[in-house]
Amino acid sequence: MRPSFYDHLHPPTIPAAQARWRYTLGLGGLAVFMSLVVGLTGILVTFFYIPTPEQAAKSVQELTYLVPFGWLVRNLHYWSAQLLVLVVTLHLLRVVFTGAYLPPRRLNYLLGLSLLVICLLMDFTGYVLRWDEGVHWALVAGTNLVRSIPRIGEGLYAALVGGSQVGAVTLIRFYAWHLFGLMLVLVAIGIWHIFRVRRDGGIAIPPPGLRPDPERIPRKELSRREGLAMLWASVVLVSLAILIPAPLAPGIQQGAASANENLAPWFFLWVQQLLKLGDPFIFGVLIPLGALLLLAFVPYINPRQHSPAELGRWFPPSGLKIQVMVAILTGVIILLTFIALLH
Amino acid sequence: MHRHVFFASFVVLLAFGLVLWQQNRKPEPIGITPTLTGQVEYCLTCHDDLPVISQSHPVETFGCVLCHGGESFALTADLAHSTMRGGANPSDLSVVETSCGGEKCHSGTPQVNRDHIQRVTTSLQATYAGAIAQMRYAFGAQPDLVARMGIFAIDGLAAFNGTAESSPVLQAFASNCLSCHLTSQPIPGDEYNRWGGCSACHSPAPRDDGTLVHKLTIAIPYTQCDKCHNRGNYSLVDVQFHTRTDSPTDRLHDYYQPIAEFTRCEWTLECVDCHTRQEAMGDGHIVSSKKEIQYVRCKTCHGTLDALPLTYTISNEDDLALRMAFLNPVLDLEVGETILMTDKGEQLWNIRIISGAGESAPTYELFSKASGERYTFKPVMGSGCQQESDQQDARFCHECHATQR
Repeated sequence: MRPSFYDHLHPPTIPAAQARWRYTLGLGGLAVFMSLVVGLTGILVTFFYIPTPEQAAKSVQELTYLVPFGWLVRNLHYWSAQLLVLVVTLHLLRVVFTGAYLPPRRLNYLLGLSLLVICLLMDFTGYVLRWDEGVHWALVAGTNLVRSIPRIGEGLYAALVGGSQVGAVTLIRFYAWHLFGLMLVLVAIGIWHIFRVRRDGGIAIPPPGLRPDPERIPRKELSRREGLAMLWASVVLVSLAILIPAPLAPGIQQGAASANENLAPWFFLWVQQLLKLGDPFIFGVLIPLGALLLLAFVPYINPRQHSPAELGRWFPPSGLKIQVMVAILTGVIILLTFIALLH
Repeated sequence: MHRHVFFASFVVLLAFGLVLWQQNRKPEPIGITPTLTGQVEYCLTCHDDLPVISQSHPVETFGCVLCHGGESFALTADLAHSTMRGGANPSDLSVVETSCGGEKCHSGTPQVNRDHIQRVTTSLQATYAGAIAQMRYAFGAQPDLVARMGIFAIDGLAAFNGTAESSPVLQAFASNCLSCHLTSQPIPGDEYNRWGGCSACHSPAPRDDGTLVHKLTIAIPYTQCDKCHNRGNYSLVDVQFHTRTDSPTDRLHDYYQPIAEFTRCEWTLECVDCHTRQEAMGDGHIVSSKKEIQYVRCKTCHGTLDALPLTYTISNEDDLALRMAFLNPVLDLEVGETILMTDKGEQLWNIRIISGAGESAPTYELFSKASGERYTFKPVMGSGCQQESDQQDARFCHECHATQR
């Protein structure tokens, strides 16, 4: 029998070390699962969402309150998107703290990092599509950040917002980015990322000769583990969807000032807190971009010092400097987030 | 491993069972598409048991959102109510133009008597301009008794600001004595409990247990007026409003100020049976004193020795009198019937002539607007009244007709 597409994604056997929960935490697989859920529920949401300033918030309310199981679809879409950002971030940290970014995985590390950025942008555009008072401040503040960039800021702002101020054109642009622009890039890079995992020899572990554990697991066992992870992830998603509804607020009224409550989406709270420190271009654009650049350089900082035997385990000593650097960066971001939440 | 998968599958099934349970718990949406908006709204999902607010505001025509605002698709109270205008009171003067206004509603033209909002917002009840003018004149802040300031700025009146006044009495007046106008919060206590804006008069106050009464009415009982009137005295000694401590039940003996005199009609009829729309809601002009707007006197209904009260014969179906009788059907009025009219031309639609031609003096019947009770009365002309024709103030009538209190 010729191998099916499913078989293509799952080799007949893989080293047991590559599929160990304690090593991978199943984060890559969970990211794929969350992407599937967010995509599928996104398609369903699209059937009801109306991308006009007058109707957007109303159509979200209609889906939530009036469409049978609409609340479930929207809540699942929301929670899978939030968990996707979380899972992808944790995946990045796992890769950094296990040294899995080393050659030949440098390109895939960068692909993964770009997927995180796209996930954040997807989440932000989706957040804005609610077009209600809950997102008004973040929409105005976020788009104004673009304006603060010297020379190209005004042009970029006009391209992003579609005019001199946020309005109907902005909504349709964010809608198009969310559904097509970012989505196509996300799918393309996502597939490339998964392809590169196979091409780079699967999940990073030492080469066969240096492996402490030669055991291999069959395709069936791998599938079972994936299935188990998906089932528990489903339980978490459905429980969240039942217990904590996705946020809703009254629609943005045309010409109304943005809401008094200044609250960015949770994954940009740290940027919101940074903005309080001074110049929006420095604190809202340069510093976040600098942090991203720092992460992008991770595989290029002393790659030769690492030994392949150190792969497949947490906190390999040769990657200590990078681990400390990323840990500090993560700590600062978490701290800023908490400060923003407390205020 | 198999056991793990089975267990996880079982929990997933359980979670989906919870989803079904959650879906079944949700109320069945009750939608309505009011003819005036053509936009479906789902407020009735929770508020289906509310009575229609008034005959002239049927829910099929107005729905809820047109007047109240709110999120028409939301089925959770917090979100649904988050954008309601004026909270539970869309007639609050800060939002009344959006809630009740519009040229076909209550900010229409004076010619068809639909300019209520413009009249009310310039009335003494809203601006308090008369009392402010008197106080500012008395304490040297202005040279005469002409209204210059109101509670809020409108139509040439500046906003009265106590902190900008140099006189300590005026400052105290600003902080202690501005509790009765239509934009003020009522004084705490059931006897003072009322809404602001139009609902101060046209809606019953929330019940003692805090529940609300969904009602707009023109059948306004005297008890509603007494939420502001007859509830205490201002004192210039300490510049305070001294509230009454009793809860009167006997209207004649307890309600009114001890020194005041009243004839029977003044303590048996409702205030609105005699006092007109313009007196209560203003005539659209800024006035400086109650005397300038309150013009109905005994002779308005009873006439004088030389003249019968003015009358108006209803000439068409759209006459104001018929519209009012439709809203408050205490009597059946028809085109061709003759009712009384004030000397400013306001129709006293609840008082009509019933006697036939040939009688020496006509007989009038009055239907009380709140109770619907019928009273008949005769004019002064042709009676044994000994009044002087130029003495028409109430105090002259009280000389003979005041009730012993």
